[in-house]
Amino acid sequence: MLTTKINKRYKKWILAFFVLLLAGAAVVWYIFTEKHEDTVMVKADYTVNAPAFIKEFQQNMTAANKKYSEKIIIVNGTVSEIETFDTTANIKMTDTISNAYIIFAFQQQHMGDAKQMQVGDAVSIKGSCSNGSFSNILETEYITFKRCAVNK
Amino acid sequence: MAFLLATGLLFAQKKTTTSATINFDATTSIDKLPKAENKTVIASLDTKTGKMAFEAQVKSFAFSNPRIQDHFNNAGWMDSEKFPTSTFTGTISNLKTVSFSKDGVYDVQVKGELTIHGVTKPVETKGTVTVKGSSIKAAADFSIKLADYGINGPAVGAGKVSKEPSISVVAEF
Repeated sequence: MLTTKINKRYKKWILAFFVLLLAGAAVVWYIFTEKHEDTVMVKADYTVNAPAFIKEFQQNMTAANKKYSEKIIIVNGTVSEIETFDTTANIKMTDTISNAYIIFAFQQQHMGDAKQMQVGDAVSIKGSCSNGSFSNILETEYITFKRCAVNK
Repeated sequence: MAFLLATGLLFAQKKTTTSATINFDATTSIDKLPKAENKTVIASLDTKTGKMAFEAQVKSFAFSNPRIQDHFNNAGWMDSEKFPTSTFTGTISNLKTVSFSKDGVYDVQVKGELTIHGVTKPVETKGTVTVKGSSIKAAADFSIKLADYGINGPAVGAGKVSKEPSISVVAEF
């Protein structure tokens, strides 16, 4: 009788241990396999026009970085340059007066869309704004985006 | 006039690109996640003097895993708020062996200064320059010691981030 009670108690503890172990494993599995969502599916934090966006960074880089860095943003503007290499398809929107620019690095699955764009196209691009900075090489301001896709 | 301008641009000594790439691999046997790619690196190459320069925004490194991306930018690792840009300035020391007017793959030696995490250190590495028509591709693979650049976060100590990550740089002009 006593042995049966002890066995039942042990069984509960063993069961609880395995439940916790499984929960822990699930959390670890989730953390290690978690990936950035397809940007197309992510809700944008801001929608901006390229010329005004560039101007905002030129006027106050620190404040603009604080506002936009690591946010999902839809940028509407005109393609000024397309830089495609083996594993890269970057689209640029440039302010023709200052040469300041925004550059969009496309997500792997959306590179085909970037490669189909033409200089002069009016486009809408959604992506994660990395940072704005001043380039000592090019002597102008620039803003970089990662994980971009065409905003449809 | 247009021909002269076009010819001048084609043979301009200082070539630049805004789409150079840097691949960063700090994976270890216990963590395969810390690797990333930055596809919006600014690079320049002066074909007359051999001077090269790179500017990379730390926040532009894209990781597949969002948590690792956060850790990478935090104070324990790259501290991108405080040190937003990593740079390299240097020179191809054996420039005489490279002919920018003849197609080929040329082995080069690059010497310069690398600034990461606000710390500047001299570096020297081997690389290649590939000339094909009017296009020039410069590439180099090397590794750095994170401790040299003051990066000693808990993930490095715990063996989740390699103490000597490998870095691969490619710039097409």
